[in-house]
Amino acid sequence: MSTTDVVAPATTDELVAALARATPMTRLLAGGTDLVNDIRRPGRQTDLLIDLSHMPALSYVRHDGDMLRVGAMTTFTELQADPLVHEHAFCLERAASQVGSAQIRNVATIGGNVANASPCADGATALVALSAEVTTLDGSGHRATRPLRDVLLGSGRTALTDGEAIVEFAFAALGNEHRSAFAKIGWRTAVSVARLSMALVVRFDPVAEVLSEVRVGLGAVGETAFRDAVLEGLLEGRPADEESARILAEGCADAVRRSIPGRYSLPYKERAAVGLAYDAWNALRICPPCEPAWG
Amino acid sequence: MELLLTVNGTVWEVSARPTARLIDVLRDQMGLSGTKEGCGEGECGACTVIVDGKAVNSCVMLAVQALGKEVLTVEGLAASGELDTLQQKFVEQGAVQCGFCTPGMLMSAKALLMANPLPSDQDIRTALAGNLCRCTGYKNIVAAVRAASGQETVAMEVPSEKEELLADLAVPGLAPAKLDEGGE
Ligand SMILES: Cc1cc2nc3c(=O)[nH]c(=O)nc-3n(C[C@H](O)[C@H](O)[C@H](O)COP(=O)(O)OP(=O)(O)OC[C@H]3O[C@@H](n4cnc5c(N)ncnc54)[C@H](O)[C@@H]3O)c2cc1C
Ligand code: FES
Ligand code: FES
Repeated sequence: MSTTDVVAPATTDELVAALARATPMTRLLAGGTDLVNDIRRPGRQTDLLIDLSHMPALSYVRHDGDMLRVGAMTTFTELQADPLVHEHAFCLERAASQVGSAQIRNVATIGGNVANASPCADGATALVALSAEVTTLDGSGHRATRPLRDVLLGSGRTALTDGEAIVEFAFAALGNEHRSAFAKIGWRTAVSVARLSMALVVRFDPVAEVLSEVRVGLGAVGETAFRDAVLEGLLEGRPADEESARILAEGCADAVRRSIPGRYSLPYKERAAVGLAYDAWNALRICPPCEPAWG
Repeated sequence: MELLLTVNGTVWEVSARPTARLIDVLRDQMGLSGTKEGCGEGECGACTVIVDGKAVNSCVMLAVQALGKEVLTVEGLAASGELDTLQQKFVEQGAVQCGFCTPGMLMSAKALLMANPLPSDQDIRTALAGNLCRCTGYKNIVAAVRAASGQETVAMEVPSEKEELLADLAVPGLAPAKLDEGGE
């Protein structure tokens, strides 16, 4: 195995200098929970590891006008405990709290979750439903912002170029009339990479008493986490009642059917999809502020 | 490359490959073989150590990630030669059988108690959810952690098996299932 160099930038300038050295064999190291096993596979060559764990400036949750900004190195433990995330992005809190185990959540970052681009990445599924934007930094010091859906190209594939680091996610902070939720179905309760996940974001108009601005993120259904416009259309304008829950559940099973026709896991996933949708729907009830009464 | 790592309060200078995992350096370079490798993939928790107060899996972390941080391993619990309270309670409560999971269990429990001195059973189960034990059935381990926190070892709240069963019984569209508790 050829030698690997390690740099641990502590400032943005140092990070830019490190990114400028990147080649196709360079890897960014965040928590390492995906990367460590990956770089140790036989045949994998890494010329440079850029260790981001000494960049405290990339770890934050911040309210900025109507937006919530989340640094790429924020861990799931931090997201799970963050009061701003609790109040303005409940689906992200719920997703964070269900990632792996305490040991994984303590180091696994939201940036690594998205950049790893697993179809079942829980953080990515929540961020997709929140219509997040991604800001990146490259070796020339250039910052670029684009929608998350343009970054996630497929299983393990992103639009990130060599030497392009995610530095921040930003999305509209959910207000009092919004509710959001996340649910997943995996092999085990702890330490399971989701086999199906759903993040829901809705606005519930207390006067008209109907749902609007419906956003549905699905994980592990397709090649990457994505928003399902068909499902969203089914709920738009509907009341928050049991019939809507049923429509969501049937629509979710349909979405699974549309996305993975003929896959061996389909019969299991179709049935799981119905349960998943009800779980996500029911979880909307516990979303703060929980007023007005729901459903 | 040369690494300076602080483990159990001592600064170690070791020479390791940049891609060496923390567990490799602890066991092979420092001889701290109390930390066990089970799955090597972050699933079983046998390799759990504490880094800057947080439980982590040393099999999915590179040694370089621990630079400038404080690492605590199971050897650090009994550094003075006396068992830590947590270790004593594991022994007293019969929470150790083959012992392979024990170092990891202890470190997950230690990290919990450092952050939350009076955890509920639910807190304990959440903290230990990433630690698998093939022998004990977990009950005595949870009891040992409770005892170490100075709390009475009383009957569990809802055991996790029951929660899992309830989850399995959930029927879409109906209220969550309830188990008949025999008139409770
Ligand atoms: C036992 C176990 C259980 C797990 N359970 C779950 C689960 O329930 N749900 C889930 O979603 N995931 C799960 N995972 C997967 C993993 O923990 C997450 O995907 C995690 O968020 C990865 O983040 P990290 O910081 O560890 O990334 P790393 O492993 O450090 O990096 C992952 C990839 O992203 C790149 N990268 C990292 N940071 C950046 C950045 N800022 N910019 C650009 N590229 C970057 C790296 O180069 C690498 O290719 C699990 C993993 C394990 C081992
Ligand atoms: S050996 Fe590290 S989690 Fe199993
Ligand atoms: S005591 Fe044997 S694995 Fe836990």
